[in-house]
Amino acid sequence: MPGAKFDLAYVFDYFPKLLSTLNVTLTIVGLSIVLGLGVGFLVALPRLYKVPVLKRVSEVYVSFFRGTPILIQLFLIYYGLPEILKLANVDVTRTPVLVFVVLTYSLHAGAFMSEMIRAGVAAVDRGQVEAAYSVGMTGPQAFVRIVLPQALAISLPVFANLVIATLKDTSLAFSLGVMEMTGKAQTLITVGQHFVEAYLVLAIIYFVISFALERLFRLLERRLLRHEKTENADRKRFGRRGSPSLRGLLAESASLPKGGSGL
Amino acid sequence: MIKLSRITKHFGRQQVLRGIDLTARQGEVVAILGPSGSGKTTLLRCINYLERPSDGEVEIGGFKVDCKHPSKKEIQTLRRKSAMVFQHYNLFKHKTALENVMEGLVVVRKLPKDEARERSAKVLEKVGLGAKLDAYPSQLSGGQQQRVGIARALALEPEVILFDEPTSALDPELVGEVLEVIRRIAKEGITMIVVTHEMGFAREVANHVIFMDEGRIVEEGDPKEIFARPKEERTRQFLKRITPEASYSI
Ligand SMILES: Nc1ncnc2c1ncn2[C@@H]1O[C@H](COP(=O)(O)OP(=O)(O)O)[C@@H](O)[C@H]1O
Ligand SMILES: [Mg+2]
Repeated sequence: MPGAKFDLAYVFDYFPKLLSTLNVTLTIVGLSIVLGLGVGFLVALPRLYKVPVLKRVSEVYVSFFRGTPILIQLFLIYYGLPEILKLANVDVTRTPVLVFVVLTYSLHAGAFMSEMIRAGVAAVDRGQVEAAYSVGMTGPQAFVRIVLPQALAISLPVFANLVIATLKDTSLAFSLGVMEMTGKAQTLITVGQHFVEAYLVLAIIYFVISFALERLFRLLERRLLRHEKTENADRKRFGRRGSPSLRGLLAESASLPKGGSGL
Repeated sequence: MIKLSRITKHFGRQQVLRGIDLTARQGEVVAILGPSGSGKTTLLRCINYLERPSDGEVEIGGFKVDCKHPSKKEIQTLRRKSAMVFQHYNLFKHKTALENVMEGLVVVRKLPKDEARERSAKVLEKVGLGAKLDAYPSQLSGGQQQRVGIARALALEPEVILFDEPTSALDPELVGEVLEVIRRIAKEGITMIVVTHEMGFAREVANHVIFMDEGRIVEEGDPKEIFARPKEERTRQFLKRITPEASYSI
């Protein structure tokens, strides 16, 4: 069913209305990334240190969250978790939906983060750790002072992709009735039938934020990798062009390891 | 002084070290020679517990550790009393030359930063890198990187410095500058154990030469003696293979 006739005035009208829910979207992204990092570390450790049983658990966890659509994860956790908790006599019927949403995105991001951390740590050669030991550092000192900073720098492009993918994924939270940006757009559409205007505004907002994040991360990356030979260092490593460009961003998000999970 | 007694090492069922005894007195330079796979690297790594010996005893500067059941603390102490220079330099890639040298002083020795910086700069000066303090490893040649590696070890003022083929990863034209630095610090009376294939260097700098094969010490003694009149057939063959005819007959 086609909606109402395109009217530019609605575009300007929708901007402030949708932006007013931006804080909800950004809250979900922020919390999910921070908690996801924590989850990612916890999940990565048993695999990095080859802890027998926990290692398997981590692998299953990662496979599950990488291998199923996030929409289904949202529903599973929103409807499934209360059932399980009921068995333990915990009542969560009054818990805000947002909690379930953040939980899902955190667990989801955590799976990808753990892979990112694993790859980053593995990329720091063993010889440097041995050198750290040889000067008398303890295991934790070597990890924090030598491995971690380099692993972070190596992981940054993947991390940037993850943040942007999470941002885009939050547009699915409305399916549980959360009033973030996409949810707000849905209600505006129901009232006015101006589909194109609403989605256009949404697209612009998501894109601008993604683009800004992309630039920010690239600056950070350059700073963290300043120990690399300057010329062509990042091209060699990540197959990237020198400066962020619109074409570059589009090309990259097309080949995102994760990819925003569209409906 | 450093003393190894009856060091053995197994990797699974393969025995790589078959009871090594070795002593280096204060200020002595011991060179270890031997064919590839004879266990030289493993022996060095057993001294600072990068590899855990199966059995034996390691003593550095009067501190003795039984390899059968060492505590974490004992391992830590051995590592603080020794330092290592690696074949592939193993510099901290995200740190400048100066920071590479400072790291151990600040984190392990708990020196105040200013003092650590001053001391590190001095040591880097000594290995000829006074102008490269702020360079990252990726901006340095192999020879320069290895000299940073040497400075990192030297700055810790350890009882002994362990060198594992410090020049064998270098382009031939860079070998000289690194050997020259090692030669110089050897003269300062720092105890060193050096695994090397550089015969000229061993003959000139070492006080004592050890020839290893298949996890055993086949022959050892004064360098002039060993290079001129090797007693064992295996030593003779090895030296023949590795030394150009001219210098061999000296
Ligand atoms: N981590 C390891 N695991 C299994 N075998 C090893 C390991 N390190 C060394 N070896 C084996 O031990 C033997 C001695 O090696 P190495 O000490 O490196 O000799 P060298 O330094 O004299 O060339 C070789 O046969 C090598 O394959
Ligand atoms: Mg070796």
